[in-house]
Amino acid sequence: MEEEDQHKVADLVKELVLRLLSQNPTADSHRPKPDSPAFQNSLRYAFRILSSRLTPSIAPDSAAIAESIKRRLATQGKSSQALTFADLYTKFDSKTGPGSVNNKWAVLYLLNILSEDRKSSKSQLDSPLLLLPNLALNGSELGNVSRVLRGRGRQEKGWNNGVLLVSKDPENIRDIAFREFANLIKEENAVSEEVLVRDVLYACQGIDGNYVKFDAKSDGYVLLDSIKVPRATRIMVCKLCELGWLFRKVKGYISESMARFPAEDVGTVGQAFCAALQDELSEYYKLLAVLEAQSMNPIPLVSDSVNSSNYLSLRRLSVWFAEPMLKMRLMAVLVEKCGVLKGGAMAGAIHLHAQHGDPLVHEFMRRLLRRVCSPLFEMVRSWVLEGELEDIFAEFFVLGQPVKAESLWREGYMLHAGMLPSFISQSLAQRILRTGKSINFLRVCCEDRGWAEAATESAAAAGTSTRRGGLGYGETDALESLVDEAAKRIDKHLLDVIYNRYKFKEHCLAIKRYLLLGQGDFVQYLMDIVGPELSEPANTISSFQLAGSLETAIRSSNAQYDDPDILDRLRVKMMPHGTGDKGWDVFSLEYDARVPLDTVFTESVMAKYLRIFNFLWKLRRVEHALIGAWKTMKPNCITSHSFTKLQNAVKLQLLSTLRRCQVLWDEMNHFVTNFQYYIMFEVLEVSWSTLSNEMEVAKDLDDLLAAHEKYLHSIVEKSLLGERSQSLYKSLFALFDLILRFRSRADLLYEGIHDLQTRTESSVPSRRKQLNDRSSEPGSWISDGRKALTQRANDFIRNMGQDLDAIAKEYSSLLENFISQLPVQQHVDLKFLLFRLDFTEFYSRGHPST
Amino acid sequence: MPREIITLQVGQCGNQIGMEFWKQLCLEHGISKDGILEDFATQGGDRKDVFFYQADDQHYIPRALLIDLEPRVINGIQNSEYRNLYNHENIFVSDHGGGAGNNWASGYHQGKGVEEDIMDMIDREADGSDSLEGFVLCHSIAGGTGSGMGSYLLETLNDRYSKKLVQTYSVFPNQMETSDVVVQPYNSLLTLKRLTLNADCVVVLDNTALNRIAVERLHLSNPTFAQTNSLVSTVMSASTTTLRYPGYMNNDLVGLLASLIPTPRCHFLMTGYTPLTVERQANVIRKTTVLDVMRRLLQTKNIMVSSYARTKEASQAKYISILNIIQGEVDPTQVHESLQRIRERKLVNFIEWGPASIQVALSRKSPYVQTAHRVSGLMLASHTSIRHLFSKCLSQYEKLRKKQAFLDNYRKFPMFADNDLSEFDESRDIIESLVDEYKACESPDYIKWGMEDPDHVLTGEGNASGTVDPNLAV
Repeated sequence: MEEEDQHKVADLVKELVLRLLSQNPTADSHRPKPDSPAFQNSLRYAFRILSSRLTPSIAPDSAAIAESIKRRLATQGKSSQALTFADLYTKFDSKTGPGSVNNKWAVLYLLNILSEDRKSSKSQLDSPLLLLPNLALNGSELGNVSRVLRGRGRQEKGWNNGVLLVSKDPENIRDIAFREFANLIKEENAVSEEVLVRDVLYACQGIDGNYVKFDAKSDGYVLLDSIKVPRATRIMVCKLCELGWLFRKVKGYISESMARFPAEDVGTVGQAFCAALQDELSEYYKLLAVLEAQSMNPIPLVSDSVNSSNYLSLRRLSVWFAEPMLKMRLMAVLVEKCGVLKGGAMAGAIHLHAQHGDPLVHEFMRRLLRRVCSPLFEMVRSWVLEGELEDIFAEFFVLGQPVKAESLWREGYMLHAGMLPSFISQSLAQRILRTGKSINFLRVCCEDRGWAEAATESAAAAGTSTRRGGLGYGETDALESLVDEAAKRIDKHLLDVIYNRYKFKEHCLAIKRYLLLGQGDFVQYLMDIVGPELSEPANTISSFQLAGSLETAIRSSNAQYDDPDILDRLRVKMMPHGTGDKGWDVFSLEYDARVPLDTVFTESVMAKYLRIFNFLWKLRRVEHALIGAWKTMKPNCITSHSFTKLQNAVKLQLLSTLRRCQVLWDEMNHFVTNFQYYIMFEVLEVSWSTLSNEMEVAKDLDDLLAAHEKYLHSIVEKSLLGERSQSLYKSLFALFDLILRFRSRADLLYEGIHDLQTRTESSVPSRRKQLNDRSSEPGSWISDGRKALTQRANDFIRNMGQDLDAIAKEYSSLLENFISQLPVQQHVDLKFLLFRLDFTEFYSRGHPST
Repeated sequence: MPREIITLQVGQCGNQIGMEFWKQLCLEHGISKDGILEDFATQGGDRKDVFFYQADDQHYIPRALLIDLEPRVINGIQNSEYRNLYNHENIFVSDHGGGAGNNWASGYHQGKGVEEDIMDMIDREADGSDSLEGFVLCHSIAGGTGSGMGSYLLETLNDRYSKKLVQTYSVFPNQMETSDVVVQPYNSLLTLKRLTLNADCVVVLDNTALNRIAVERLHLSNPTFAQTNSLVSTVMSASTTTLRYPGYMNNDLVGLLASLIPTPRCHFLMTGYTPLTVERQANVIRKTTVLDVMRRLLQTKNIMVSSYARTKEASQAKYISILNIIQGEVDPTQVHESLQRIRERKLVNFIEWGPASIQVALSRKSPYVQTAHRVSGLMLASHTSIRHLFSKCLSQYEKLRKKQAFLDNYRKFPMFADNDLSEFDESRDIIESLVDEYKACESPDYIKWGMEDPDHVLTGEGNASGTVDPNLAV
């Protein structure tokens, strides 16, 4: 039914057009044939008008229209006609039901318009009949530009054609002026606009046109100077051709890069960039193709206005070009700025331009970046989940370098700041670096495979597939969560491996026990065994023998119950020695950490341990010496023997010397013992408990390294080995040396006394006998031998007393110096040392002169 | 090369406390009554070979000699469940089994008679050690065997093993009540002389104080020997923990004692222990921090030596040295804080003639012995107030001597034959000078003490009985 209607309508329109055309005066001579092209054109045009949605700007109110018609008729003095109209209208309006007119308002409106139109054309032109636009006119005019250009002709044609202008008055003054202006322009132009448009379109594809050519001098497409065009047109062309210039640039970059693909310096990111640009360009090509096609087509216009002769004008082009221009400009800028960069740096540079308020630009950049970053993100993914550094073009922000296993963690991989795109934060980059590094560390140093599981788990947890291309630009959150999950699991796995399989804690403890002398019994035996040997000159000592001694010390102490693997790593190390060095100066222990723990216990770390060992060993040696001295002067050694045969003066001297020796010993022992307590409590144990706590909470190997570093540093600082306490350290060693000297003096003293004892006793065979005999024969003491003996004893004791006095004096001045330096030290723990040394305020009180 | 220590338990008392000591050590090291390591005793870290050695059949055998002149106590040990622990070759009981009759002279004399037998045993033990550190003698100074024979052994050891340490755990008699041993002052004095001259360190276990602690601290109305002995064994085992659980410091007896005994003569140590518990006693749970333990150790009520000092003198009394052995889970940082608090509150009076400080040794606690408290502490200290104990001995001796009472028993023996009582006088002088030296330690001028007065020396020389001039013997 509807189809039938359509056909009916079409037939009716056809009929109408035919009739209109046949009434056209210009076509008077012949009746247009229904199949002629002109007729077809007109028919099409008619359809277009009919199907257009042009509506009058009047509310569809039939009563109002009827009222206005009535009033106008009345005002024109045709009141009878007005009455008739009213009567007719009432009848018309009341007609309802089948067969009546539906759209009464439209009918009224049409009739009104027609009548007014006829009136106006009648009044001016006497033109009788034409009510509808001349459909044929357009067709003939389009083909005939020269005729259009003639103003006069146009004027004539205006009324000849009797065009009905619904919205435009052809006789408008402004319109006329405009048309004249357009004609003027056309006359000024040496080339037509269409040609220019075509040239511009060519230029925009990077091709020289007839008039618009690339000028290398001014670096851009210009309209040839020889062509005479208005300045405005020239500028317009120039502006439009900017697109061409930009295109040329982008295109040039792409082809240049493409050419370099096989070489390494473009990189995958660069390739992705090119590909993305290429894609954008093909969009652009499409647009150009469309435009080009359009430029051939005339614009079907309602009016016959001349300047819209072509569908594309330069002005239209500039509208069309607005968006591509923007994109092309962006691309050109990117090409300019990023062309020389590669990898992460390129992505970062592009990212910098993506921060744009314009949603169009933003969207465009986003699309571009997604493409550009995809290789980068793929690298991150494979690095974080597989530890693979798929980076043949050195584009990734993680740099790998071949190193030995022990320095893999510290030096094997690093961040390349230049390649770090700004959309990846430094901390994220660090995490990324560490995660991959952990995997590699596990793989290379720990020979572990368990990380793969952890990686899979983390990928699952992060909701990202482990497949390639799972991530993209703009999904920094996803990236971050992937990295976080992976880092969390892999770091945990790594720590598990370090703790459980490689027994990090146990080794730390072993180092504390052996290198930091925590295993007291072991150290003591070692001291006992190697002591005599170490007093020899360094060059006569066989390290082989020392190794044997070490073995003995281990076997005879509780160290024997330690893990054989740990004991196996403990070695004797002889430091390089110069002439005059004693064994004491060169002996030390070392601990072979082995892969992978040598990442923590690096050479420099072990060197620090070595320094601490040497210090503690020296301290221990001094303590050992003092205890040795005590053993020679221990309670039941001296007191059980008699010196009664000596003169009073000698006895007094002996007494005084012994007392001096004991008191001095006490003071030295106090110093050394409290220093030892300080080392044990304030230095070793406190640092150790800090380390243990930090080991518990360490989340990754870096934390662990830092904790250990801190531990070592605090020990070094607190045991006066730091930079700042050098002078203190020196005075301490002076004290130690003095104490060792005291030891040998004291030994000498007691040796002499024992000698004296045996001599005095030799004169009387047994003490007990003497006890019984003495009262009976007191005179037997006086003999030549005794006198000489007394003399010798006297001399000896006086000498020793003087020696001891000298040592005591030196000691107290050295100690005073040492103690006075303590409060000014920056390290707060040294206050504890002072506190211990001066617990009874013996030193701060200013002790009695010794 | 463990620093082995050979324990000699002499006399009734010595064997009793020795037995308690070994019981305690066995418990702490997880060694069964037969000397076999218990299955659970796998946690290492302890050093058993200082006090034990392993026989061919893996039995742990104490390095101990059980010596007595009468068989009762030793028989008791041999019939107890610990009979298989000891090396039976190391048990010496006098053939006649008559004991020493609470007579020092008898014990000393008998000691001389069996010297060879005993020294053979000691030599054998010493040869079995890689690096013998010394001897520990457990005895009482009041009776006959422990004091007399112990004295003889001290002298002999001093001669034979002059390079080795000799430490004694000497039980001092209860001086508050009238003793069942009337000649106890004589015995004590004579033994004290040997302890002064022939021992390197004497840990004084004062029965008076032990009883007081048992009554006051443990709320036992009538403490038995077994109960006081368990206090002793606690102290003995605690004082050896640093030797048995090696750490950074104090791993051998010399190191332990050297700092405690700066002046050779003043080598009598007091002990204090907290928190004290006795077997089967309901444990009183209390807060045990390092500070608490250290503070409590300084309180006289926890010290196992009676202080007879009058208040005036007590303020003069000074610590020559202190070593606190803290056992258990201790945060090392607490030690420093505790020391600071103690110094701030001036809880300790130290000697003024030299530097001194409270030494603190941290030691592990045996994992096999469950205790209610986290931390326990032992104090070993050299304190000048101990001289009052000696003064008391002296005054009791003087009383008895003035009456010339009971001397006949002594005259029976060669040392006092022919009414030669010079040994008594000599001992008295030595103890007196010991008291003087302790007193001198309280003054800042200790260094010059005994030297400014030549007359004193002269009189000392004029003393006909003195083998050793007291002042020279410093």
